[in-house]
Amino acid sequence: MADHEASKINHDNHLLLDQPLLRLPYELLRKNFRSAHFTVEKESTTLNKLLKETAKGSLDGKTSPEDVVKNLDTMIAKMRGMKRKLSMYANEETRLYKQLDARVAHLRELSDMHSVEDVKYEAWSRKRLDRLLVDYMLRHGYNTSAQALANEREMYDLVDVETFLTMSKIRESLENGSVTEALAWCNDNKKELRKLQSNLEFLLRCQQYIELLRINTPSKSVEAITHAKKYIAPFQEQYPDEVREMAALLAHRPTDKNLPPKYAAWYSPDRWTKLATSFVEAHNKLLGLPTFPLLHTALSSGLSALKTPACHGTQKTTSSSQPGHSQTSMTSTVCPICSIELNDLAKNVPYAHHSKSHLDNDLLLLPNGRVYGQAKLDEYAAKAGLAEGQVKDLVTGEVYSRTALKKVFA
Amino acid sequence: MTAQTTAMEALQKELDRLNRAPGLSATEDRVDKIIEMLTSVRDQIVQSGMDTHVASMSITKIQNPIKSTFEKINDDLKGVTATQRKLGKTLDKHFPLKDLPSTHDAMADQESLINRAISMHLLREGQFSVASTFIEETGDAATLENVNAVADGQDQVSASDNYDDEPMDEDRDDDDDDEDDDDDDDEDEYMSPLEGAATGLGFRQLQNLSSLQSHELEAKFSQMYTILQDIKSRNLLSAIEWARSNSGELEARGSNLEFELSRLQYVWLFKGPRVNGLPDNELNGTAGALLYAQQNFWRFGNRYIGEIQQLANAQIYARNLSESPYRHIFSTETAFADVASSFTREFCSLLGLSAESPLYVAVTAGALALPLLIKYQQATRAKGTEWTTTNELAFETPLPERMLYHSIFVCPVSKEQTTEQNPPMMIPCGHVLAKETLQRLLKGTRFKCPYCPAEGLEKDARRIMI
Repeated sequence: MADHEASKINHDNHLLLDQPLLRLPYELLRKNFRSAHFTVEKESTTLNKLLKETAKGSLDGKTSPEDVVKNLDTMIAKMRGMKRKLSMYANEETRLYKQLDARVAHLRELSDMHSVEDVKYEAWSRKRLDRLLVDYMLRHGYNTSAQALANEREMYDLVDVETFLTMSKIRESLENGSVTEALAWCNDNKKELRKLQSNLEFLLRCQQYIELLRINTPSKSVEAITHAKKYIAPFQEQYPDEVREMAALLAHRPTDKNLPPKYAAWYSPDRWTKLATSFVEAHNKLLGLPTFPLLHTALSSGLSALKTPACHGTQKTTSSSQPGHSQTSMTSTVCPICSIELNDLAKNVPYAHHSKSHLDNDLLLLPNGRVYGQAKLDEYAAKAGLAEGQVKDLVTGEVYSRTALKKVFA
Repeated sequence: MTAQTTAMEALQKELDRLNRAPGLSATEDRVDKIIEMLTSVRDQIVQSGMDTHVASMSITKIQNPIKSTFEKINDDLKGVTATQRKLGKTLDKHFPLKDLPSTHDAMADQESLINRAISMHLLREGQFSVASTFIEETGDAATLENVNAVADGQDQVSASDNYDDEPMDEDRDDDDDDEDDDDDDDEDEYMSPLEGAATGLGFRQLQNLSSLQSHELEAKFSQMYTILQDIKSRNLLSAIEWARSNSGELEARGSNLEFELSRLQYVWLFKGPRVNGLPDNELNGTAGALLYAQQNFWRFGNRYIGEIQQLANAQIYARNLSESPYRHIFSTETAFADVASSFTREFCSLLGLSAESPLYVAVTAGALALPLLIKYQQATRAKGTEWTTTNELAFETPLPERMLYHSIFVCPVSKEQTTEQNPPMMIPCGHVLAKETLQRLLKGTRFKCPYCPAEGLEKDARRIMI
């Protein structure tokens, strides 16, 4: 009865790990639309204006037919350009629609399943694991592996390779000391970043400023000041302390002796790593992506749920990973936490809370202090071909007479 | 219908609507129209020989049509955004972004361990090329070393184990020729990078050794997959050969795999060429099965004499097997799948690995436990308590039976799980208590069992291992 409950799929919250799955294509759809809309707005305004001017000029006689034709050519070219852009946006939109279809279909499969014992659930759960693996690989920059796995499993629509590849590129560029790509990204997402009250653009501008000062020549210093006036001063109200520190940096150069740690921090090369991290944070927040790879979340809770005090104990149990004769066919279901793959990983997570015992029926105590259920002992004795009144310890292999066993009531 | 199914239905409805509605591609046609209009005016003017009148007339004429086409484009866009926004609302309503536990990431600094677990998982799943790409990309020699440690550890143990109960199998040394030879070689050659550096071995050479060993693990899984493919195509010979070469270890584990496989081969041949598709000769059919039995069943001595007799008797029922008392032995619907999973289980166990991918089990368990964690976090958010500071979770995470691998004893008195520090103790009446509970019950050196009238002395309680 209890097991039936534990095996039931609770549809209301089974998809917690899958929230970003639907969110991301939606956010990208909106972004795509905004770009398309902006393009249309801009081009249509320009075109209407030019058309009006040309028409007026032609009527007034100020614009010659040759010029009218020239303007028309310009307009045609512009429209062709706009069409190309729209085509691009339309393709992206179709791609995202397809992704949404595939993802909703995948999640809908779950509604037909009611128990985790269902063989279909296993296939679904494996698919989910593959998704989490690709997500993990992308976030850590193992892009080749991610693509290989996505291709192998034919699950391109269920994962967000392009998004993370783009993010990876920008992050790498920051780690290599370039703000250009990141600034371009900020520009594309100005409105949303402002909504999030992100300081990313400000920090990038500061870094540009710092790099100019680092060169420490009079001309660069002048450039730095110009830059600051244009790009940093506007943030005075928002980040007064930082702006003040930027100003102070004029007087403190990286080569100064006894540079106060506050300013040394600004000049330090690990600013780039910090910028990369800030970028990734802003990127994820913007697109509604969780801070940590979903695999981490699933593992933390899964490892805890499976872990028992015995998993890191010194005692050899029937489910610990000990190759060799001490393990039998009957006890070969190795506990995942005891497995060599996960044992170290699970060291620092709490173990599961149980309010009820989980033991075999008809427990018998062997003289060596170990306890097994009668059924298990009988089965193992038969397999080992023992004489009638004897049993064999499933872990140690010691043989005892049945009369030496005591009943345990637990 | 649960809330979730309504949610999915609603989502699907919006999605269908989205797919039916014109998207951005519709605007392309309108732009084409504009281009057409502009082009035709342009051509008109040119054809007229740059006539001023024609120019001003025609260009004025298209002003409005173009403006209105742009307006139509705008309307199109409004429609697209409206439909998309509706989808967004449905998402917000039915799939609100719940805060995943983000206060503490227990996995944050464990990248190399997680990478190792993933590499092993990929190998288990038979994804060999992805696995080697991943191992290469995650790149630290540490990962390779770790993967090797697994292969290394298993080989060292299995090579040196002594089986008390079974006579030393002379054949065992010849079996797995490649494996044993490699073991010896690698044990001599494998050095930790530190040792290697000390002896002046180049890093390149070390890397080659390392990759050789991770290839070993890969080779083992590769072998397993080849045999599984064979079983899938109803060819049991490679599996039987493997079982034979590892018969010593399999018997020590009490496994019936070799017999299971041989019996299935007998049954398969018995069914004849029409069912098994093998050539119709003396090696096939009931006669072929008998021949197979004669050549192979002697290996099993007296262990399976009952089963072997049944198989022999079935010869009499060859014509109407379905009415014989042995028909269940001869139904092969699930037999091949069953024997495949037995084989996988034994193969992995011989490597010291579980048959089921631990990573898979952990993630599946995680999906089941996560909602409970979030519920708990929400409930305790006000108190500001963190759940990872203690050794034990503060809430229950029930899992299905097959995910409960260890015995658990919860002391009925203290309601605590027993641990190594607080082990289960059995008292003479046969009841079990946690050690700390027992000590609390002591009056001097005596205690009374909480469940029955029995009394006892402290020294009569003994620690048990569940």
